[in-house]
Amino acid sequence: MEHPDVAAIRSLIARHKRWDTAFAVFGLLCLMIGVLTFVSLFTEMAVNGAARLDWDFFTNYPSRRASQAGILSAWVGSTLVMVVTAVVAVPLGVASAVYLEEYAPKNWMTDIIEINITNLAGVPSIVYGLLALGLFVYQFGLGQSILSAGLTLALLILPVVIVATREAMRAIPRHIREGAYALGATQWQTVRDHLLPYSSPGILTGVIIGMARAIGETAPIITIGALTFIAFLPPSPVSFDPPYLSFEWLMSPFTVMPIQMFNWTSRPEAAFQSNAAAAGFVLVFMTLAMNGLAIWLRYRLRKNIKW
Amino acid sequence: MSEHLSKQYDNDLETLRSGVLQMGGLVEAQIRGAIEAFSTGNHAAMEQVIANEPGVNGHEVKIDTDCSHIIAKRQPAAGDLRLIMAISKTVTDLERIGDEAEKIARMSKQIHEHGRVELQHFANIRHAADIALSMLRQALDAFARLDAAAAAGVIREDRAIDTEFRSILRQLITFMMEDPRTISTALEIVWIAKAIERIGDHAKNIAEYVIYIVKGTDVRHTKLEQVEREALG
Amino acid sequence: MSTPAALVRPATHTDAETPATKAEAKNLSFYYGGFQALKNISMILHEKKVTALIGPSGCGKSTFLRCFNRMHDLYPGNRYEGEIRFHPDDTNLLGRDVDPIEVRMRISMVFQKPNPFPKSIFENVAYGLRVRGLRSRRAIEENVEQALRRAALWDEAKDRLQDLAFNLSGGQQQRLCIARALATDPEILLFDEPTSALDPIATTSIEELIHNLKDKVTILIVTHNMQQAARVSDYTAYMYLGELVEFGVTDEIFIKPRKKETEDYITGRFG
Repeated sequence: MEHPDVAAIRSLIARHKRWDTAFAVFGLLCLMIGVLTFVSLFTEMAVNGAARLDWDFFTNYPSRRASQAGILSAWVGSTLVMVVTAVVAVPLGVASAVYLEEYAPKNWMTDIIEINITNLAGVPSIVYGLLALGLFVYQFGLGQSILSAGLTLALLILPVVIVATREAMRAIPRHIREGAYALGATQWQTVRDHLLPYSSPGILTGVIIGMARAIGETAPIITIGALTFIAFLPPSPVSFDPPYLSFEWLMSPFTVMPIQMFNWTSRPEAAFQSNAAAAGFVLVFMTLAMNGLAIWLRYRLRKNIKW
Repeated sequence: MSEHLSKQYDNDLETLRSGVLQMGGLVEAQIRGAIEAFSTGNHAAMEQVIANEPGVNGHEVKIDTDCSHIIAKRQPAAGDLRLIMAISKTVTDLERIGDEAEKIARMSKQIHEHGRVELQHFANIRHAADIALSMLRQALDAFARLDAAAAAGVIREDRAIDTEFRSILRQLITFMMEDPRTISTALEIVWIAKAIERIGDHAKNIAEYVIYIVKGTDVRHTKLEQVEREALG
Repeated sequence: MSTPAALVRPATHTDAETPATKAEAKNLSFYYGGFQALKNISMILHEKKVTALIGPSGCGKSTFLRCFNRMHDLYPGNRYEGEIRFHPDDTNLLGRDVDPIEVRMRISMVFQKPNPFPKSIFENVAYGLRVRGLRSRRAIEENVEQALRRAALWDEAKDRLQDLAFNLSGGQQQRLCIARALATDPEILLFDEPTSALDPIATTSIEELIHNLKDKVTILIVTHNMQQAARVSDYTAYMYLGELVEFGVTDEIFIKPRKKETEDYITGRFG
């Protein structure tokens, strides 16, 4: 009596497996569309712009002559703006998240604040640009400077940092907190000695991903008035004369990578298109590098933690 | 007592208890057979008692083994623990009673084969045996119903047996002094009386275990008044 | 005539022998929001003795345990009624004017699932000391060593103090947590089902440890394993549905409990 049953089961399984295979194929196709699109874009940029990637490209200022144009002011500007963004966004974001997660009483007001923070992440970036224009550039009188740009982007990625920090802290199991409190730790001691260190992989990942997004933001930067043609660098933060450290660079005019690219793509000459492609290549590379750093850091820091 | 969550456990305990009562019944029959053999000189009865003795021992071994199994499997506590401990000791006493019954049968054999027997001793021995048998039955009954008051009654009865034993002894001594030729037979009867007195002791022990099961107090080696207070209080 | 022996009954204490009281719950009730989890519990915790709390799931034993170190204060919506008097200073642990952090400085806890911090073995044990402001490196090292010895972990750990605590086995991690709790010399040590996540061998080593701590620290242990309570404790409390049903010397509870409910639970006649 065994044989008929086995055969029926087998044909049933075969039928179900066909759906299995069908979805596998479909999923692969979907994946390929995304991957191939990106690969072709990247390859086109590489092909178009690879020729332009030499030392001069990185150390020249923009110029009306395509062959002499470089991205020096752009990538220095991007880097400096990112520094300001990080320095502002991280403390603000982490502290806000810690307060919301650990200190704030759990009432309707806190709930509203939480919902709004998550929503902020979806606000179009140009809106941030408008806000920054009115607030930083004019109201605070910071002008069209690196500081304004940094503050704007910091605001932009603040929700990302807050959410990442909260998620990272929530991932810490209750019994670890209880273990710390049971030893007589105060709330701050628990946060400082345990919660922040253990959530640092998550926080760092969130920060870097936020910054990887910020580095490519164009709209808000244009709105607050980044220049498109700059033939000088902001003053150096460090110098040989006292007081060795200067903050003048914060108030300096500047440009960033996406803007430089934008500027070049709007020029008719084909040579500038290659420049733009090369710059795009560099920008993508920088973004991928930052994401790679995030992944690596996460891996390293998470090794010690096994919940 | 209400039931355990584990039906299997309940069954095991029930098997154990009925095993004890079964062994008790068997041992009672042994005593009756032995006394019958003594009174009537019936050889069949004597042989029967002697032949049944290994069966009694077999019961003891089986019940003790079952007790170990329950202890290993169930880690009994409180009332269950006391029950298992008491059962283990009870079957030891039952087995000894079986031994005494067998001795009575053997000695009866000796007497009827070799000696002359005087009628009056039958009556006394019979009477003592009746008391012992009733003690055993009451003790087993108290075990079946877990009745501490009934068990205390058994312990009180033990005095009666001691009294009977001493009176039998006095009579036999007088008898031996009158006619030295009867000494060997008389001595046999003394051993039989002693065996009966021991049966009473064992029955008393079983009653003490019943009080332990019910009240949680070990009343061995305590005075009767304290025992009764414990059992009835 | 045999000498009249005393009735052979498991000994209860005479007044002269009763150990000192370390803490006493008086009419303690506890509410999770609207739900009353503990109902009017009064119980004495004897000094330097092990007291076990047993009972079926949901009977409130962990809830009761956590009142002693104010763990419930960490979560909103909880309310205490009644008091827990703590000796020798006779403070009420549950008083509103009593700082929970101070309570936790004097009363330590070991949890059900071993919860070492993701730090080194040394840092785990040292944390309680650091919280108490101990700075001297030498002092910290000495205290850590002593705590690890008391937890029977020194020999296994002394060569790998800087190793991550997570690399220890489950039983070792739990002993580490015990060392961490002991390092601060607590007046009461609370155990919340300390071996339920461990295998039998690790369980036995923890029980041995508790046995060795007896007479040095007052211990209150919650366990769902009755035999463990019987093995490890001097006193046992049986709880059911938030109430204290019976409290007594462990030997008595397990051989001849006074209440039928206790007997039913212990013999598995529950339900």
